[in-house]
Amino acid sequence: MTPDPIIVARGVTRRFGGLVALDGLDLDVPPGIVQAIIGPNGSGKTTLLNALSGASHADAGSIRIGGHEIFRLKPHRIARFGLARTFQTIRIFENLSVIENVKVAAACPTPTSLFDIITSNSRHQHTEAEIDHNSREALEIVGLAGRANDHARQLPYAQQRLLEIARALASKPNVLLLDEPAAGMNMTESMTLLDTIARLKSSGITILLVEHNVRLVMGISDRVTVLDFGKKIAEGAPYEVQRNPKVIEAYLGRRHLHA
Amino acid sequence: MKTNWPILALGAAATLAVPVIVRDGYIVQLLNIAILNAIVVLGLNFATGWTGQINFGQAAFYGLGAYTTAIVTKAGLPWIATPFLSIIVVIAASLMLGLPTMRLRTYYLAMTTIGFGEIIRLIIVHWEPVTGGTSGLRAIPGVSVFGFGPQGEAQHYYLLIATLALAVLVASRVRHSVLGRAMIATKDSEIAAEQSGVDTTRTKLLAFMIGAVYAGIAGCLYASSIRFISPDSFSGTQAVLLMTMLIVGGMGSIAGCIVGAVALTILPEALRFLGQWYLVLYGLGVIAVIVLAPGGLASLASRIAQRLARAN
Repeated sequence: MTPDPIIVARGVTRRFGGLVALDGLDLDVPPGIVQAIIGPNGSGKTTLLNALSGASHADAGSIRIGGHEIFRLKPHRIARFGLARTFQTIRIFENLSVIENVKVAAACPTPTSLFDIITSNSRHQHTEAEIDHNSREALEIVGLAGRANDHARQLPYAQQRLLEIARALASKPNVLLLDEPAAGMNMTESMTLLDTIARLKSSGITILLVEHNVRLVMGISDRVTVLDFGKKIAEGAPYEVQRNPKVIEAYLGRRHLHA
Repeated sequence: MKTNWPILALGAAATLAVPVIVRDGYIVQLLNIAILNAIVVLGLNFATGWTGQINFGQAAFYGLGAYTTAIVTKAGLPWIATPFLSIIVVIAASLMLGLPTMRLRTYYLAMTTIGFGEIIRLIIVHWEPVTGGTSGLRAIPGVSVFGFGPQGEAQHYYLLIATLALAVLVASRVRHSVLGRAMIATKDSEIAAEQSGVDTTRTKLLAFMIGAVYAGIAGCLYASSIRFISPDSFSGTQAVLLMTMLIVGGMGSIAGCIVGAVALTILPEALRFLGQWYLVLYGLGVIAVIVLAPGGLASLASRIAQRLARAN
């Protein structure tokens, strides 16, 4: 028996004026796999991620993450159900240090009150120590531990992308959404990134990967979903999807099919 | 973060020695107002410097604390009750302003807070039997805890310095906590903060309320140490001045808040000999800081320190 999917989306629709960015999309993601979402520009990949993470709500449909209905919940509530994400355009906290960026998201099982913070009591100290530990662990995973105390804005571009991944990991998510994580990376950096994604998968995190570079995702993904004009046009193992005539048409245009 | 203890100790010693060296009551009084302004600007820094929410209502919170204290002590309540009453009043007011407006951004929030400040000022001006209207309230009872209280400017100076030290301690603890990081994250990218699990609306409201409490306490101490208040001290002009202090000192920097507040409180008095020309110089000075050191005087100091370190 296959396990229950960790992401269940039904009839997710998102319109921007007259444009239908997501058109009644259904999506099931089984736990523990790397699932890629690919598709041409404007096919609705990022819109889907935004709907799943609550960054920009869907107009209609139902989305369940780990059994919790998250449709129209605020993003921080969804984050607390174990969903973390990175962004296509980098959104690090520029006025914080590298480790502080990660600490913002770090899981803290014992919440502290303003009173705890002001008196700096043992509960506060304990929480801070735990957050520090979790954050350093997350920085280790992406290989940024050595830059913990630098200003986040001093990091080179590729490392800022890794910092976003570390920040996402610090919340100990069950589901990780990566929005074009390799954008702007060179070949070596992309290879290291793939390696990191593989390690995350083996630690049990379900990864939903939006990528423009199809070749990059084929090797690492267990399943690929192809979107075009907000609809799912193909889904399956990478080798199946690659040979699907609809996919080839969407990417290259109809002419190439017969050529 | 590394604390530079020798410099801190030297600064503390110099601060404590000021009233002993400067025996002029007028100058110490001016410093007292500078310290009160520093507390208010530190409060403003929570919402504006760290959380990135423009707030022109800070002067009104300052005024609410001052008028609450003046009115209840003149009515005969013991002084010890006034800090608590001031805090309750400003918390209630900040909730009233904050709950409906924390979803607003930039200009809209700025306009709303300006409106709030104006409403408070109009209430103070027109509720004459209680507030004394435009002529203000005089002969406000001084600070007194079970019969003990500071006498003269110098003793008030020490009381205010102690309060400022406490305000700095709280601010720095908040900065290095879950809450402080959430504030700066909210300023830098609201959506990334939300996706990291930060309730940004709650964070903004907390920043706003903590800032209001700072202003309320400063207002309470203003009323009972200066012992005369009038609506002019808490007007829209004052709100803009507080914002200028924050920008000139350095948004987001605790030291910057103090430097900005002290500099912009003392400067107009120091330049008084220039007569009408002082405003020109003052304006040019503010523009120079904003253009040459966009991070404020605090960033200038740290840049010089970095350059010195590199030179060595």
